[in-house]
Amino acid sequence: MKIPPKEMFNAHLLFFVMHGAQIGVGVQGFQRIIYQDAHQDAWISVLLAGIATHIVTFFMIRTLEMYGSNDLYGIHQDIFGRWIGNVFNVIYVLYCFIAFFSVLRNYIEVIQAWIFPNIGEWFLASTLLLIIIYAFTAGLRVMVGVSFFSVILSLWLVLMLGFPLKFASVNNLLPILETDFRSILKGAHSMTFTIIGFEILMVIYPFVQDKKQVSKYAHLSLLATTTIYVAVMVVSLMYYSGGEIQRTVWATLTLFSFISFPFIERFEFIVVCFWMLIIIPNLCLYAWAAYRGTIRLINISSTKFIWLFALLIFLGTLVVQTRFQINGMDTKLSRAAFYIVFLYPILLWLIVIMRKKVMMKK
Amino acid sequence: MAYRYHEKEGDDEKMKKWLWCMILLVLLLYGCAQTNILERIGLTTLIGYDVGKEKKMQTTAVIREVNPEFQSKVDVITTEDNTSKGNRMEVNRRVSKKVMIGQMRVILFGEALAEEGLHYYIDASLENASVNNGVYTAIVKDQVAPLLEYDYQNIEDIGQHIYRLLEQNIQQEYMISSMLHEVGRDYYAVGRDMAMPIIEKEEELIKLSGIALFKDGKMVSTLPPPDSFYVKVIRDTFKSGIYETTLQSEDLPSILQKKTDDTMTVAFDAIRSKRTMTLVDAKNPEFDLTIKLKARVLEVSPSFDQSHRKSVEALEKAIQHKLTKELARVIAHSQKVESDVFGFGEEYRSHVRHAELTKEKWHSLYKNMKVNIHVDFVILRNGVFE
Repeated sequence: MKIPPKEMFNAHLLFFVMHGAQIGVGVQGFQRIIYQDAHQDAWISVLLAGIATHIVTFFMIRTLEMYGSNDLYGIHQDIFGRWIGNVFNVIYVLYCFIAFFSVLRNYIEVIQAWIFPNIGEWFLASTLLLIIIYAFTAGLRVMVGVSFFSVILSLWLVLMLGFPLKFASVNNLLPILETDFRSILKGAHSMTFTIIGFEILMVIYPFVQDKKQVSKYAHLSLLATTTIYVAVMVVSLMYYSGGEIQRTVWATLTLFSFISFPFIERFEFIVVCFWMLIIIPNLCLYAWAAYRGTIRLINISSTKFIWLFALLIFLGTLVVQTRFQINGMDTKLSRAAFYIVFLYPILLWLIVIMRKKVMMKK
Repeated sequence: MAYRYHEKEGDDEKMKKWLWCMILLVLLLYGCAQTNILERIGLTTLIGYDVGKEKKMQTTAVIREVNPEFQSKVDVITTEDNTSKGNRMEVNRRVSKKVMIGQMRVILFGEALAEEGLHYYIDASLENASVNNGVYTAIVKDQVAPLLEYDYQNIEDIGQHIYRLLEQNIQQEYMISSMLHEVGRDYYAVGRDMAMPIIEKEEELIKLSGIALFKDGKMVSTLPPPDSFYVKVIRDTFKSGIYETTLQSEDLPSILQKKTDDTMTVAFDAIRSKRTMTLVDAKNPEFDLTIKLKARVLEVSPSFDQSHRKSVEALEKAIQHKLTKELARVIAHSQKVESDVFGFGEEYRSHVRHAELTKEKWHSLYKNMKVNIHVDFVILRNGVFE
């Protein structure tokens, strides 16, 4: 696959792309889900999940390097042939579609629960979708730029974790490793929904200019994400008591709920609104990944694709209305993502390796 | 080349059209959001809960209405219904403005209600996104409604008044802190119980009159206001507290007793304290409680020669002795009513592996817990005049 140089971007931007794609709606409320299994050792689960992303990314890059300049869709077609390969591609496109939808719907739920309970989903969905369409039609380089600004402009949020420390108690983290290892692993498994996003590498790889640098920046971005997640988890564990964290739906947002400044009474409202900036790269990149897959299947222009995509998503938001439905969707997506994002790339690497060996023998 | 240039121009044009469309859309959609104009809403600054006479709960809301022409007005409205939302509707039926709770600063609970249990109210407040987790909570001696409804001579806005009263006392560390977050955290912690300040009406004033101790969200006992120092010193740390005490003659070392004078009163400020709890025996819970205090002498009566090292040391000793005695008394009292407001249980839970502690289990252990108190009191300096 030939990519014109003007559509490519520098390797160091990959840091922002992957980091931006990873951090999204999950981090707003992942604490209670992990706490259910791992209790006060939840931060170890987060750490383990972070390490898992490093391992998976290592294999992803290995696979991609063997093909030089091809993406996941191309690899599928090459390994399994046109027909079966396209079946896999359809699955991946569907996965991107659902992941996009889930991010959007979860964010809308947060806005409705925190700030505007009376605004309809259709309104918030259409506004957000218009922004995504706007970014999407401008091309990949703009979306990469959006990721860059999203990460840079939300860096200050990390500093805000200092406020809750006023109420922190280290005792809440003790005793360390009281939970058995299986439960900690189970907690790490529950991190899937929060930590996915880095699989975008499989699609975006051909567009990176300096392929030798990919591994460095990819792992750096994973490291940054894991550090932030562990920090958020540790602060939450110290701030809340056990029973409270299990009942707090968006523990990260509630962390900021007591902060008020003379000029702004409710700081977390700012955070909720600001979060839009954080999810835009999520949405852009998932839409783009779905587009890259779709053009392998049918001949469609990018503008036509994104409008159709947005329309389907919009119709989806009209169907999924209740918290119950949203949570159900998240769990299902998380379960699927565990196989698609964590297990499959390793399997794919094995297949590619074996295929290469067979070809060599021939 | 020329053709290409033209094409680019067209792209720009297209972009511009897009941008205009977006701006127009944003403007149009802006109207969809519900607006809350200050002049048209009533800001609930304080809410008080009591046990209802006929229905489940009685709420008293202090509502501030901002009028552009006149001075703002404060309404106190008492209603009765089964839920707090139902009560809000009842309130709305009585005022001309939309009642909002985003500016709420204080939640008060009547004594009878607190004895019944506050679980429901804490949950409801935590669940509501419009309630800031930084609001203060307090208990009102007897009932909330009469305290709020009384027409005080010198208090214009009762909501603001109670908020400031609590805020300044908590921030100056005269009173234990009881933000909604802290109360919720303690309620849901296994080895900790809630504690809240108590306020009461005293003729034309409202004053802090003690601390309420809770067990499982139910108020079980109270402590007088001077004891808030002891509770706070065990619960957490001081950065700049004040402490005043009277040393009885039997506690006083001979070096400080000029005559057979009976008592000595001393006051300290700028107190910095640090407490460490260590579990020494897990089977029959036994703790070492070490409290280190550093302070400045402010008032001593009768005065003594503070330039002598020996006499200052003797005073330090006497204070240590006194503090140990008082702390033991406060802990013993809380043990008797099974209310662990200090968080000994958290220490136990965090240091005993697989304790599988529950609130119930801890309360039974807590009753017979032993605490060895060590106080280390250091006088840093005195004032500018000896």
